Amino acid sequence: MSEIIVVGAGIAGMTAAVKASELGSHVTLISPDYSERSQSVMAMGGINAALGKNDSVDEHFADTMNGGCGINDVNAVKRLTDDAPQIINWLSSIGTTFTRDGEGKIDQRYFGGQKKKRTAYAGARTGKQIVTALINECRKNEAEGGVTRVVGWRFLSLIIKNGKCLGVICINEDTSEIREFLSDSVIIATGGLNKLFGKTSGSIHNDGVATARLFMQGVELANLEMIQYHPTTVNTPVKRMLITEAARGEGGKLYTIRDGEKWYFMKEWYPELAELMPRDVVSRSIYKASEAGKNHVYLDISHLEESIIKTKLDEVYEICTNYLNLDPTSEAIPVYPGVHFFMGGIKTDENHKTNIQGLYAAGECSVQYHGANRLGGNSLLGAVHGGWIAAENAIMDSNDDYINQIDDELESFNKFEKSGKSVDVEDELAEIMAQYMGIYRNEEDLKGALAKLEGLEVKANSYYDYIKLESLILLAKACVISALMRKESRGAHQRTDYPQTSEEFKRTTCVTYDGEINVAFR
Amino acid sequence: MSIKVKIKIDGEYQIFDYDGDLNIPVTTLLERLDYPIEYSCSCLQGLCGACAMVINSQPKLACKTFVNDEIMVKEYGIITIEPLSKFPLVKDLKVDRSILHDVMIDCEQWLESDARVSDDLNFDYEMSMCLMCGCCTEACPNYGFDDFVGTQVAVSASKLISQESDSQHSKSIKRKYKDKFYPHCLKTLACEDVCPMKIPTQRAISKMNRKSVWRIWQLLSGDI
Repeated sequence: MSEIIVVGAGIAGMTAAVKASELGSHVTLISPDYSERSQSVMAMGGINAALGKNDSVDEHFADTMNGGCGINDVNAVKRLTDDAPQIINWLSSIGTTFTRDGEGKIDQRYFGGQKKKRTAYAGARTGKQIVTALINECRKNEAEGGVTRVVGWRFLSLIIKNGKCLGVICINEDTSEIREFLSDSVIIATGGLNKLFGKTSGSIHNDGVATARLFMQGVELANLEMIQYHPTTVNTPVKRMLITEAARGEGGKLYTIRDGEKWYFMKEWYPELAELMPRDVVSRSIYKASEAGKNHVYLDISHLEESIIKTKLDEVYEICTNYLNLDPTSEAIPVYPGVHFFMGGIKTDENHKTNIQGLYAAGECSVQYHGANRLGGNSLLGAVHGGWIAAENAIMDSNDDYINQIDDELESFNKFEKSGKSVDVEDELAEIMAQYMGIYRNEEDLKGALAKLEGLEVKANSYYDYIKLESLILLAKACVISALMRKESRGAHQRTDYPQTSEEFKRTTCVTYDGEINVAFR
Repeated sequence: MSIKVKIKIDGEYQIFDYDGDLNIPVTTLLERLDYPIEYSCSCLQGLCGACAMVINSQPKLACKTFVNDEIMVKEYGIITIEPLSKFPLVKDLKVDRSILHDVMIDCEQWLESDARVSDDLNFDYEMSMCLMCGCCTEACPNYGFDDFVGTQVAVSASKLISQESDSQHSKSIKRKYKDKFYPHCLKTLACEDVCPMKIPTQRAISKMNRKSVWRIWQLLSGDI
């Protein structure tokens, strides 16, 4: 029986754990908190699959490739879209309460970048409903001994010998205990790189440190410049919160005030799909229509039936009433693009393998499906699919080797000295990224960002905060250098100095670290 | 406006002065105090249940509880924040809620068969919203005695028995409920009052009682 470690217990991690356990492996599922706290529960809108008579997996494939502006992994996307209907069936079979139509079939709705009703959903909380079903499935495997949960631990480093992954070293959040976990293979499912931008619309657990530390250890990353700004986020005292794309899918309209009148700019600029253009296009349009944020842009759903707002969009209703003191059934919502999703991360092939033998990645931290821009409804799909495929491959690995690497980690831990509050440096990092890695970029700004990042000094009062800042600053540099090197505009990466899309760059940005950050386009 | 912030830190109350905007949730208030306080949080918008704590004697999610909405703040200019009291304290406002998850395994909260699509999808949807935050167990006067497993078991079980078509496992879920939940719950329904997801826990408990305890119902419906 092979021993598999899964790091991260959101949808991708739990799917990997369940599938590997069902295939006869033993899984140690490591996470900082229980799955109820994972960012996956925040996914509202839905999950894509060509289920309807008028739809086809080929169209889903084509829309996903178009959305990703051609730099997605063709083979991976083919499998993703082919397998999507089976994934919906599986999720339904494990008890996900999808919303159904009058005939009892799983209902689907419009989402951006797709002309078909392809997004299956579970009320206004698709992510939460899937997580609940997956937790039950995982629990069954825990009871049978196939999965062991280890909660309260964060990833520190990979144990590697001769290019082969032998396990992981983690730190306990509360006690700072450091320990090793050995295995035949490791699946990383730690989500996006949120902490680069301070507070994003996602969870604070997904700090990006696992990806950053893996990068320092030689794991190849990709497409780091591809950062999705979700078009419709709102400013609250807590953070920018997301207004789901379902609000536009259900008929929400975007406007700004021009010459004293409402100007529905999406309808004017893109008459066919209007508000349902892919997210990168809508974000850029809001940026332009608002004159780079000088004027307010509003998302208006007040013309929709109140019952639709309070059921299918109840999360929107709750955010507006709780955090904005605004009633969306009668008032328009002031929105602006905000950092939401990282298309970039750990480079994996269609089998979710990384460049290190025995190391896999799945979910938002892994790169292959989404290219330069992810379509709404494809992240939940990619998370389940990635976890599933990674598990099927990871169970084939075996190890009978061991290397004592924990002593290095303990030595580094023992040498650590408190040097001040990390939060100030974290804020500076976030400010630099927000200022220079926005919707539009240019060479001068990006070079300025690099110089500022060079000037950041790591300060921390805990060991984890120290390694977090050290690795995230390096990762931030890798993001900026990737953006600098991609001298074109494509999807989420827009350069004012290179506004055209160039055939030369219809490739993946591959980033490695060997003391220097190296970028190549392949 | 300035207020007093009274926080129970490792068993002792400490009072902090806060002067600033009060139209903020309690999590933001804790961030703005110039004193490092440990508490669990993840989503910061009421979707994950991590930040459940006792605010002015009521169990609530700190990220959804606005300071200026609290009566004690409006009337007396003070807010009292304590950790959930029925779980082992980790540090400051952080507690170890692993028991809530452990009992879900003991009570076999999973499906053995492929899920049936039940007649009442809305009910299943609502029951799937449980955050495992522990607000219900905090408010429950019976929780903390005699190994009572807590309302989250009834909420989960009430959905699973509609979805489960393996009758043996369905019976097993009901038996566990009858042993570990039913005799301990005195139906104060405090759980329903405090649930941050507004889950109708009373409906879950009634359904489970009907299906697993009241023999006449089972005889009439052939559901034994």
